[in-house]
Amino acid sequence: MLRKKYYTVLTLLGISLTIMVITVFASFIDQIVSANPPEINRDKTLILDKVSVYKDGKKTDAAPSISFLQKNIQQLQSTESISYFTTREFISFLHGKTTGHALKFTDENFWKITDFEFIEGKAFHLNEVKNGARVAVINEKTKAYFFNDSEALGKTIPIQGLSFTVIGVVKPASPFSKIYSDVYVPYTTDINIQLTDKAVEGTYNALLLAKTDDLRKVRAELRSLMKIKNRVSGADSVKVHAFTALEQFSKSSSFNDDEPEYGKTAIVVGIVLVLFMLIPAISLVNINVTRIGERAEEIGVRKSFGATSGNLVKQLVIENIIITLIGGLIGLGLSVYASQLLVHFVNTFDPLFKMPADSFVISWRVFGFCLFSCLLLGLISGVYPAWKMSRMNVIYALKGGNNL
Amino acid sequence: MIQLSNIEKIYHTTTIETIALNHINISINKGEFVAIMGPSGCGKSTLLNIMGLLDAPTGGLITIDDQQVSSLSRKKLALFRNLKLGFIFQSYHLINDLSVIDNVELPLLYRKGISGAERRKRALEALEKVGLSARTKHYPNQLSGGQRQRVAIARAIIGNPEILLADEPTGNLDSAMGEEVMNLMLHLNKTDGTTIVMVTHDEQMAKKTQRIIHFFDGQQVS
Repeated sequence: MLRKKYYTVLTLLGISLTIMVITVFASFIDQIVSANPPEINRDKTLILDKVSVYKDGKKTDAAPSISFLQKNIQQLQSTESISYFTTREFISFLHGKTTGHALKFTDENFWKITDFEFIEGKAFHLNEVKNGARVAVINEKTKAYFFNDSEALGKTIPIQGLSFTVIGVVKPASPFSKIYSDVYVPYTTDINIQLTDKAVEGTYNALLLAKTDDLRKVRAELRSLMKIKNRVSGADSVKVHAFTALEQFSKSSSFNDDEPEYGKTAIVVGIVLVLFMLIPAISLVNINVTRIGERAEEIGVRKSFGATSGNLVKQLVIENIIITLIGGLIGLGLSVYASQLLVHFVNTFDPLFKMPADSFVISWRVFGFCLFSCLLLGLISGVYPAWKMSRMNVIYALKGGNNL
Repeated sequence: MIQLSNIEKIYHTTTIETIALNHINISINKGEFVAIMGPSGCGKSTLLNIMGLLDAPTGGLITIDDQQVSSLSRKKLALFRNLKLGFIFQSYHLINDLSVIDNVELPLLYRKGISGAERRKRALEALEKVGLSARTKHYPNQLSGGQRQRVAIARAIIGNPEILLADEPTGNLDSAMGEEVMNLMLHLNKTDGTTIVMVTHDEQMAKKTQRIIHFFDGQQVS
């Protein structure tokens, strides 16, 4: 490995770049679907974000209004807690600069379903929501923006022309998550709220924390509730769409928007992974054939002294896996920089909203997946050249492998 | 010990057929030191490779130690080579990335039930036999030609093979070093009773063996 520096550098470069891309990709998916803090209940939390209204043979899809949600799903028995939220934005003018911030209108249950880490203060409670108190929970980034290093509690921030008092500062959620926001305020302060009894469509979503892991119960109850309640809306029928984050991802990446299709999603993710790995793997196979070809004499010697094809395949594949793991570790390190570069790149598109630099977190799951990818890449790129070399005629191998 | 019956080796290309060995019948006894001589291209190395089970004959039977080996599987041939045969090559064929001691240990890597410590001990013994116990940590490119060939001999004998096959072992060495290597092989033959078959161009070296087989154009002439 050290003697063939050119091939080693080339191999490491190929592997590390491949693993880097895979890690960023895996880290992105992990943050969208996995139960990472603060979304520790992701596996049993349904996000109700769409309502389909069927009327006079026509179907209309929209986000539901909060009045529709409160009237129709409040009495769900299979849920432990329900929270309503909508995401908007507001612009601030500070030090002569304009900046956009994500703003979430929500309720007290939002903080029960999620598990935000409070750096300062606390969440808002039922009373503050009921009274429409102008209080805000902000994330670390927003605190740094408005107040630098000083304490934020008790200070005010201007939101849509009104002053909101900061009562809590939290560590940010993943920016790819539905619950991400720079500022969280009670939904009762939302001046655009739909309070009319007949409005089905709106801008609100609901988080439904199930009592048990059996989410089918919640969906079944939702269906039966909709049968009873659709008279209220005046529609022929109404269907609500409630999915977990994983299901949301599965349906958004497949062709059917109504139901999650894990099979299709797995195929799509698989194809993307294979595409990421295929070209580097083919290149690595070629490099390995040449690299191992240069060791033909060694292989001839080993065979002369009793090495079987199996012994040689094992040795060459293990060597290849070791080099792949080293490349993988470099790739993992590179992925940290690559993700920051990606965030920087994404941020150039929208000058108002800035994605935090640490948006991509490499969890143990991502690390495990990365390790698995390394092993797979090591196997794919090592087995064929090793097998080919192990079958080489000993005499030709001893002569330097001129019959390759 | 080694019985070659009617051995034939023919190389086919799309246009011509080259007969490298033409119906060879040779019998080598246990403990014998035999030299095979002949001009370049007469088939002596091909014969040695066939005897060493590194190459398969086109026809004929090979019997080693009363075992008919022509029809053995690749895996069994590898095991047979490992247990019974040792090779010494003209160009040493040491692995440059491995130290002297690791090179010597190599045949034992493919033998089951031998611990790392045991391998090391036997490698040191083999290197002592060839007078190179002070060079264990060196790499092949730090040694002279004669020293490399002695390392190769240590590697060939570490597994206590009954047969040593040497393909022009002194071919790349000057006369003094060649003499040294030849004496080492004679010593092994005499003290350990190892059967040795040596291909050589050097008549002086060949004369030191017990029997000389002459080859010409793929045939045994004496």
